[in-house]
Amino acid sequence: MEEATQAFVFFWLAGLFVLSGAMLGLFSKVAMQRKAGLVMAAAGLLSLMATPWTLSFSPSSAFGHLLGSLAGPGVLLGVGFYLITFSGHVPVGQLSPADRKTGVVMVLAGVLWLEAMHWWVLTPTYPGEVNRYWLIFWPTMLLGVLACGAGAAALVGLVGEDRQQEQRLMLLITVFSGLLLLLGAALDGPNVAHEQFANEVILAAADLFGAVVGAAIAVLVFALVLAVYESQQPAPNRLAPPTTEQLAQASKVIASNITGGEESE
Amino acid sequence: MGVKVILPFVAVLLAVTYLSGSTPEGALVRFANALLTSFTLFSFILLLTLFVYGDARKRPVAPLFGMALSVGLGAALTVFFLSQGELLMEDNGSVRAQALSNIIRFGTTAVGFGLAVMVVGGTLFASLMSGPRRTIHVEEE
Repeated sequence: MEEATQAFVFFWLAGLFVLSGAMLGLFSKVAMQRKAGLVMAAAGLLSLMATPWTLSFSPSSAFGHLLGSLAGPGVLLGVGFYLITFSGHVPVGQLSPADRKTGVVMVLAGVLWLEAMHWWVLTPTYPGEVNRYWLIFWPTMLLGVLACGAGAAALVGLVGEDRQQEQRLMLLITVFSGLLLLLGAALDGPNVAHEQFANEVILAAADLFGAVVGAAIAVLVFALVLAVYESQQPAPNRLAPPTTEQLAQASKVIASNITGGEESE
Repeated sequence: MGVKVILPFVAVLLAVTYLSGSTPEGALVRFANALLTSFTLFSFILLLTLFVYGDARKRPVAPLFGMALSVGLGAALTVFFLSQGELLMEDNGSVRAQALSNIIRFGTTAVGFGLAVMVVGGTLFASLMSGPRRTIHVEEE
């Protein structure tokens, strides 16, 4: 197979599988389609993660390498938060207190793993230098935590009652991510110099702003398209008002249902 | 609320710039590339959601056409601006390479932001579910 064809099949088609599979899996009303969508998304993701072997000649395979490097901490965080949340006050399917402890350990291990990828020797290197997509990912994630944490703290303060603990926790996360960003910009890591990290933080912020503005414009266009389409639809047929006979019949049915029964307690 | 989100974000960015002493080169180019890529890809994702919308609306063609036009417009604008010399080009040799690089970088941004949402959402829900059990008091009239 030619290199371009290989790249198309193992990378771009796989990416399309992830996107369309996830959409089908999340939004389809047919159970069979949902299952097929999830299988498609999983197959696409596996293909992307295998690109360091299947597309070793392509620079794009660094993205697959990043996904593979993030699988460990991502799974630890996801499963850990699931265990903690569902061992709390949930009405059904409550997990045991032991699961909660396991969850806490998993979340801590996930966070430490991610930190070790910047501050220790676990930095993803591909194929011999720091993975360039890691340099985009890590500042983006920290900025994302900063923005989402600040937003969640404001939201909890706005709509929650007696939720000071949650608000403090969100502020703590915001401050923690801000400190990590400042530390990274002030101190060299074993593989990433502070000047390089600072530059990547600014570029990641530009990326985030651009992505948010672009997404907002796309959503506006989508709303406009639907509004125009719906406004051009003919109004639904209106039923004729009820006749005197129909009203009398309805009165009779209602009366028979609200009188003559046993008294309620 | 927007101010409470933007303010710490901008404050940290200013502090990072001050600490490193570096000037943010290429941030505007990166912003423009991210905007065009995000618009095109989000239009494509919204186009896919129309298939679900069509289930309840006798599969209309007009909205599909409208969103396909939006995707086409995004792609055409991207190619147009990338073709204007050095305007939006970064370290890539051709328009195609730059466009593909933009898509992969958008994917990386999406993964980073997704993991950030998981951390914040997970922590918030874990805290909400583990606090003292609350009862709803309804006042009788």
